[in-house]
Amino acid sequence: MTKPVHVLGAGAHPWGKWPNRSQLQLAIDALAMAIDDAGLSWPEIQGLVAASSRFEGGMGWGLHANEVVQAVAEQGIPCVNVGGACAAGAIAFQTAYSMIASGQCDVVAVLGAERMPKGFIPRPPGSQDDITDSDYLRWVAMGATNPAYWAIEANRRKHDFGTTDATLAQASVLMRRNAAGNRLARFRNPTTIDEVLASPMVSDPLHLLEICPVSDGAAALILGSEQYVQRSGKRPVHVAGCAIATGQFGDPGRRIPTISSTVRDDVSHTSEVTTAVQRALAMAGMGPNDIDILEMADNTAWHLLAWPELFGFYEAGQGDWMLNNGKLDIGGDLAVNPSGGFLSFGEATTAQAVLQVCELTWQLRGEAQGHQVPDARVGMSAVLGLGANGGSVILKT
Amino acid sequence: MQIPVAEGLFAVNGAGVQLIGTRCCSCDTLYFPQTPGCRNPLCRDKQLEQVLLPDRGTLYSYTVQRYQPPALFAMDAWSPYALGLVDLGHGLRVMGMLDDVPLDKIAIGMALKLSLRTLTTDENGQSRVTYAFVPDTTKDHA
Ligand SMILES: [Zn+2]
Repeated sequence: MTKPVHVLGAGAHPWGKWPNRSQLQLAIDALAMAIDDAGLSWPEIQGLVAASSRFEGGMGWGLHANEVVQAVAEQGIPCVNVGGACAAGAIAFQTAYSMIASGQCDVVAVLGAERMPKGFIPRPPGSQDDITDSDYLRWVAMGATNPAYWAIEANRRKHDFGTTDATLAQASVLMRRNAAGNRLARFRNPTTIDEVLASPMVSDPLHLLEICPVSDGAAALILGSEQYVQRSGKRPVHVAGCAIATGQFGDPGRRIPTISSTVRDDVSHTSEVTTAVQRALAMAGMGPNDIDILEMADNTAWHLLAWPELFGFYEAGQGDWMLNNGKLDIGGDLAVNPSGGFLSFGEATTAQAVLQVCELTWQLRGEAQGHQVPDARVGMSAVLGLGANGGSVILKT
Repeated sequence: MQIPVAEGLFAVNGAGVQLIGTRCCSCDTLYFPQTPGCRNPLCRDKQLEQVLLPDRGTLYSYTVQRYQPPALFAMDAWSPYALGLVDLGHGLRVMGMLDDVPLDKIAIGMALKLSLRTLTTDENGQSRVTYAFVPDTTKDHA
């Protein structure tokens, strides 16, 4: 019998470029805000789960949780460090959830903090320069950048459903409009379809303003058992479902950095994420119609059109109509990324999935100043990471 | 003298250019590039053999790379080029550069065949080559 788990507190450092602040400092700031938000202090934190970054900190071994406690609170607690690339925050959440649901701990903190390198992300040290390494082949054989993978999906969508360039641009316009009211977002100036389409073409049909850049940022959550749920005096937020998953054999998605797909009929596109979403919904005893808010990884405008369809919110190809008719707006049928999404934040890889759950927490409490979804009761997150990692969390009031 | 961008990726023989892949004989699945295992969880025996893959296919989707990739990708006289996702049949879709077709004439569904593309040539005349897909003109008249 598992125990109910609740989100007690959330905190995030604003996203941006912070050349004068270390990754550790961003992490400590976000954690301090989350602990304060939960009405707790460090001695009450019984465990820390951190998403491991490969870019900075963690003593070179991904020991980001250990680094934090050694800096601010040496108190013998278990530190767990999890990998999962851009989905690491969701895996950290899942791990902390399990520590409490199992009854082993009552209060566990979740952390994701990242400072991203400039320009192209370098290949990891020790990589093989031969056909065993897809990340080598995609560069030497064809120079396939990440946007190229997403653009290939977007062009196929144009072919299959008649998606227009203006509709793709509209997805970016919506994200910027949502971000305008979110003090944590990096890009808060509203934009227009014309401005998006006038930005440089990166990888046809995707323009610069339709692709998320990289940012620095940090986010933290405090999860707790029933006995702590009233501590902060804030509206309780419950974990209704959470799940992580990996890819299915035969997935037709273009998976970075591979240079081919072995496709089988009836296997979901981006199966690592759709599987996580289905598992989280099953755990919550809910269906797509129960979800008021979807915070999803919008690496590009294409993702905003395709992902809700893949999750079963509506039929394949309907996303264009939903977007163009305001159904995905704050106040629409399904508010997609009221935060402004990755397109307005820039991706701080391992921190991103933790930020998604922070945003859902604030929305469900009615604390999302400037971008509040009216009467939000249930929110879902969805994220994808390298290695075919997917994660999803469902919160409810 | 032509040097492939990676050993074991493609073969050039009398018939032209062919990609080197792996076929799982147990579940009849094709993989590219060569793989050390069969990823099908329902496949038990996972008997693998090296195969030369079909050299013709159809364009499933594509993009045009408008800015220069990192230095690992070397190309003389760089200019935007097309990248395709090509359906080789039997459930296998392969990415590769598209060649010999104007960027505004690329169309999903077009018939393609494998070819070689020279990326760089040094002062000794030694060139680095990769595989690429070009329009399959035999198909147009068929
Ligand atoms: Zn097999």
